[in-house]
Amino acid sequence: MGYKTEWFKGIFPALVTPFSADDRVDEGAYRELIRFVLPHVDGVVPCGTTGEFSYLTMEERKQVLEICLDEVGGRVPVLAGTGCTSTRETVALTQWAKEAGVTGALIVAPYFLKPAFNEVYDHFAAVDQVGLPLVLYNIPQCAGTHFQWWTAEGMLLNFDNAIGIKDSSGDLPFMEALFEKVKGKVAIFVGHDEVVQAALAAGADGAILASANVIPDVWQRVYHATLEGDLATAQHWQQQVQKLVRIIANNGSTQAVKEALCMMGLAVGHSRHPVMPGGAFRREDREEVRLQLELPGIDKIKKAPVTYDLGGRQVRTEVFAIHQTPRTISGFTLKVGEGFAGPPFQELAHVDLLLGLKDGPVGRALERSLAGWGEARGLRVIHERPRTLLVPTVTVRTAKQHRLFYEDAAAGVNLAIRLSVEDGFLPEAILDDVVLIANVFVHPAASIAKRVELNNYKAMRQAIRKALEGRPTVEELVHEKAAARHPFRYAP
Amino acid sequence: MPIKLPWLKGVFPALVTPFVNKTEEVDEAAYRRLIRHVLPHVDGLVTSGTTGEFPYLTRPEQRRLVEIGIEESGGKPVIAGCGASSTHEALALTRDAKEAGASAALIVTPFFLHPSDKGVYQHFYDIATGVDLPIILYNIPQVMDRYLPRTVVEDLADLPNVVALKDSSGDLTYTMEVLEYAGDRIDLFVGHDEVVLPALAGGVSGVILASAQVYPEVWQEVIRLAGEGHLQEARALQRRVQKLSRIFCRHGGGVAVKAALKMMGLDMGPPRRPLKATGGALIHETRAEIQLELEKLGKVPVEDVPFEYPGGPLAARFGDLEITPDLIAIHRLRVGSGMAGEGLNKVQIDLIAGGKETALGDAYALQLTYPLHGREALTGILEPGLTVRPSTLILPALPQKNLRQANMIYGPTQSALGRAIVDALEARSIPPAAIDDEVMIALVTVHPRALDRHALYQSVHAAAGAALAQVFGGSSDQGSGIRDQEAVR
Repeated sequence: MGYKTEWFKGIFPALVTPFSADDRVDEGAYRELIRFVLPHVDGVVPCGTTGEFSYLTMEERKQVLEICLDEVGGRVPVLAGTGCTSTRETVALTQWAKEAGVTGALIVAPYFLKPAFNEVYDHFAAVDQVGLPLVLYNIPQCAGTHFQWWTAEGMLLNFDNAIGIKDSSGDLPFMEALFEKVKGKVAIFVGHDEVVQAALAAGADGAILASANVIPDVWQRVYHATLEGDLATAQHWQQQVQKLVRIIANNGSTQAVKEALCMMGLAVGHSRHPVMPGGAFRREDREEVRLQLELPGIDKIKKAPVTYDLGGRQVRTEVFAIHQTPRTISGFTLKVGEGFAGPPFQELAHVDLLLGLKDGPVGRALERSLAGWGEARGLRVIHERPRTLLVPTVTVRTAKQHRLFYEDAAAGVNLAIRLSVEDGFLPEAILDDVVLIANVFVHPAASIAKRVELNNYKAMRQAIRKALEGRPTVEELVHEKAAARHPFRYAP
Repeated sequence: MPIKLPWLKGVFPALVTPFVNKTEEVDEAAYRRLIRHVLPHVDGLVTSGTTGEFPYLTRPEQRRLVEIGIEESGGKPVIAGCGASSTHEALALTRDAKEAGASAALIVTPFFLHPSDKGVYQHFYDIATGVDLPIILYNIPQVMDRYLPRTVVEDLADLPNVVALKDSSGDLTYTMEVLEYAGDRIDLFVGHDEVVLPALAGGVSGVILASAQVYPEVWQEVIRLAGEGHLQEARALQRRVQKLSRIFCRHGGGVAVKAALKMMGLDMGPPRRPLKATGGALIHETRAEIQLELEKLGKVPVEDVPFEYPGGPLAARFGDLEITPDLIAIHRLRVGSGMAGEGLNKVQIDLIAGGKETALGDAYALQLTYPLHGREALTGILEPGLTVRPSTLILPALPQKNLRQANMIYGPTQSALGRAIVDALEARSIPPAAIDDEVMIALVTVHPRALDRHALYQSVHAAAGAALAQVFGGSSDQGSGIRDQEAVR
């Protein structure tokens, strides 16, 4: 007894559902996204978890499926998310999807109310009757129920139309139990971006992934290298994207993918509320995702020319530009940028950056402070081009604090400056004209030196870009005003 | 009335174990001081419990603590913590406790390796039948990673010398379930400081608490009031100590208790490593909060700080920034002032705005490198990562004396001011050119004894709104609190 279908294998993106500014399904952006991923995928999944199915009305789900079917035009299979919380709705939508012409249905475990295992089994049994190829979907992080292997085994072996299972738990012992029970009879897909290579190497037949919206080509490399037995290559690419996909899998999945796509020039909008920017997908995560998308071999954000207007003089540079990068940047008198990186709490970094002309207020403050109390109050010039003053925001008392601040945090700040010179944000032609003042916070109870260095690197790198690009924008501030939650605003 | 032992009711402090700095040896003299301090307000003592860092103590040390407890207790019962991971060790500790003269043994659910229910039952059974000493079962899933199963308690309650269960879970569904199935045979003690009153109302006989060495008299009174049915008064008392109880339970345990005792003049030394006196589970910010709560309870003296809200002509209040009324006129800087709140929550904000190229730009940069003493400036943000525009500095008008004062500026003041500025952006009362080309500095006067973050947030928001209205024109909503977002749109 072999697989029930031939088509269910390889890399399938769990497509995001783009929304316009007025919160409607954005058909144009959806079609553009599908055209972007299509050359690199073996199938697509509309209306999955990443597609925010639980925030779509029944009419919208049908609309999304229709657009998807039309744009794909039969070139790859369309595995439609048609799971709902009740059996009645799930059956109705799956029936509709069958008639609309989808290739198969991905059915999430019934969620919110917690049916017992026999109730879950009967739910899928009812959907199986529709007659559409059926993929079971285990995602305990959202659904709140974890399939037991015997439930999955029973459904996969007993249901005529069950062609496979998608397991997004990331629980490899569970997946190994599935291999033991049903490998070769139904397809076993991994749905957790952090363990794709491990799962494929262990025998998974494919992957349905949120991150495959963004890096479908990289996942193809992992998939094909594994098929060819080239584990070293597969491991290499998994590791290259590990940080990116860890953020996506853990910090705001759908919003993370959407902001990544926006930075790449695919304007898919935001997630529907209550998911929002700066929520589970934290602002510092966005900065990190941006850096990851710039990496060689990933190449998802491209360089673009930008002009710096230094008053009397114009400097042209090339930077990794996103939709928020102005093409002309002026106002070098005084620019403010902030960066924040953590956890862990004790090692979190917070940088308040001033960037400005040497003969302006920033340059004058730097020289006057140095001459005034300079090293006596802990000020230290740590970089010459651009001239950079490190200012501690907490009094440095102990030898340990001294080391963490002047060695580790300073090393992180310096690295950020060096890489910003390399990547074009601080072009050679302005290095003698501007100075930086970095107010740096190191918690008195910090211990882990490497984290202090890395968090300060991240915070400083963000601060430089945010100062230059004028972020956050007024639009972002107004959008997030009501929901902003300052961590120190509350009593313990 | 207690079921098996007549004395088993009332208030029992789970004593911290004092250690000598550096050597980490048990500090016997400090232990005696602590016991003498609490004794008038308690019905007995508990040695080497969780708060007493029992997993870090040797067997002889635990025995010594019991001996000192008995010497100092003036005849009040001493309950010896005798918990251990293995049955062998727990038995030995319980025998020690009996020999030393303890009145009962408190035995925690076996931990680290996870024995089955059968193993857990056998553990307690072996101890209860092996040593002729009253046994108190102890459920504390926060540190043991598992509950003492109710069905096991139900069976153990049949043993004649299993006399009580201490439930530190704070999970009243568990407490009620144990009362339902074993409450006819054993007494229950609540071990979670945050739910003392509800547990008493539910039917527990007494308390074994970390906080019962800091404010035992409060718990005695709560028990008396609850017993007499005066629930309103009992609630008010519980609420008075709610925050401090929460800090002890969730933000540092015994370490936090030691910090509180030290502030009260009872130095119990550091915890044993790997715990840190501060900066670990107990962070500095929380320690400052303990100070503040002890002030409220009258456990530590409050320093009265004389100060005044800045007065005189508004243009003359920015001298510390090297900005004179003349400069304000020459550079066309804009100023505004707002005041809101009452009493300790009264806030004044003097705001100045102007071009980055002016003297204000210099003042802005200088305050971030060459700050006034004790008045380090903060950037105006809604929250970390959301820096407001125009770029704004918050400068405390009074030198900050301690972290407790700084805590009022960092969070509540910083975010409320940020929000008032973004309100103005949303209402389009800030000219577009100013957003990029200007900076602002807000001199903020907060009462040095301000405590109420929520009220302070409201005051700062209202005062900043009024100051912004003066600076940029537009309507002020001073005193009206947070605007209705829809109304603004």
